[in-house]
Amino acid sequence: MPSNMSSVTVIGRTTRIHGRVTGAVDLEVQGYVEGEIAVGGDVTVDTQGLVGASVRGRNLLVRGAVRGDLVGDESVLLEAGARVVGDVRAPRVAIAPGALLRGYVQTGDVEATTPRASRTQAAARPVVVQPVARAAQPIQRAAAVPVATPARAQPVPVAVAPKPAPKAQVVAASRRPPPPVVPALRSAKGQIAKKKER
Amino acid sequence: MASTVIGAGITIEGEIATDEDIVVAGTVRGKLTAKDSVTIEHGATVEADVVGGSLVVGGALTGNVTAQERVDLQSGARVIGNVKAARVTIADGAQFKGSVDMDV
Repeated sequence: MPSNMSSVTVIGRTTRIHGRVTGAVDLEVQGYVEGEIAVGGDVTVDTQGLVGASVRGRNLLVRGAVRGDLVGDESVLLEAGARVVGDVRAPRVAIAPGALLRGYVQTGDVEATTPRASRTQAAARPVVVQPVARAAQPIQRAAAVPVATPARAQPVPVAVAPKPAPKAQVVAASRRPPPPVVPALRSAKGQIAKKKER
Repeated sequence: MASTVIGAGITIEGEIATDEDIVVAGTVRGKLTAKDSVTIEHGATVEADVVGGSLVVGGALTGNVTAQERVDLQSGARVIGNVKAARVTIADGAQFKGSVDMDV
């Protein structure tokens, strides 16, 4: 009987664990675990179970609450009553009706690359826009400063040098969309900014 | 039977607290608190201070032990630490290094 008991690990309903749970066997959580779970076997988070950190295992079966990422080597199953706030990654992911999830889901073994690509694209647009405002100001400074302090005149041309490149890009960018489009975008941005300020 | 079982092959690093009984067959490092009975099975490794209602040790335990009722060190147990309980038994074949406090 002790051998049967020791083969299965159960975190009972009134049990609270603050810390890491690791191992190579199966784990069933009926209680509260505030800490990372990383096991080689299957993990079951029962209806009463609550995990406050990431869970990693072979097959994850969630009927309770998890606030953290779920990473399954084989599968992640969210059954009715599951409440998960965190990302889910596994070759197979199943979300049953009645399960609640807020997070990013990815099936397959590949690391997440699509969000990064979209972020860099989004970041590239403001970079093109900003040099227009910056380029206008340094020109005025460069005209006034060199007469008084020649020493500063050296760094200024360095700052001026990159201007043609951004300007060319901006010109090229402004050529692509016809004139009506640009004012429309600017006015739309101004409206959004005004709304946020209010 | 037991509400909480830390199976062989499982390692918990941190604090465990439960209102029910607990059986440890794996590894626990940190602190272990139970209101009911605590069983540390043969083959288990516990490096933690243990507080419980009663404690049965068959495995390796390093840390101070406080029990409300009793502490039983079975044959094959390896215990390093101080034991404080109303009743303490040490079976023949148990290894023990530490002090015993039985509220005399």
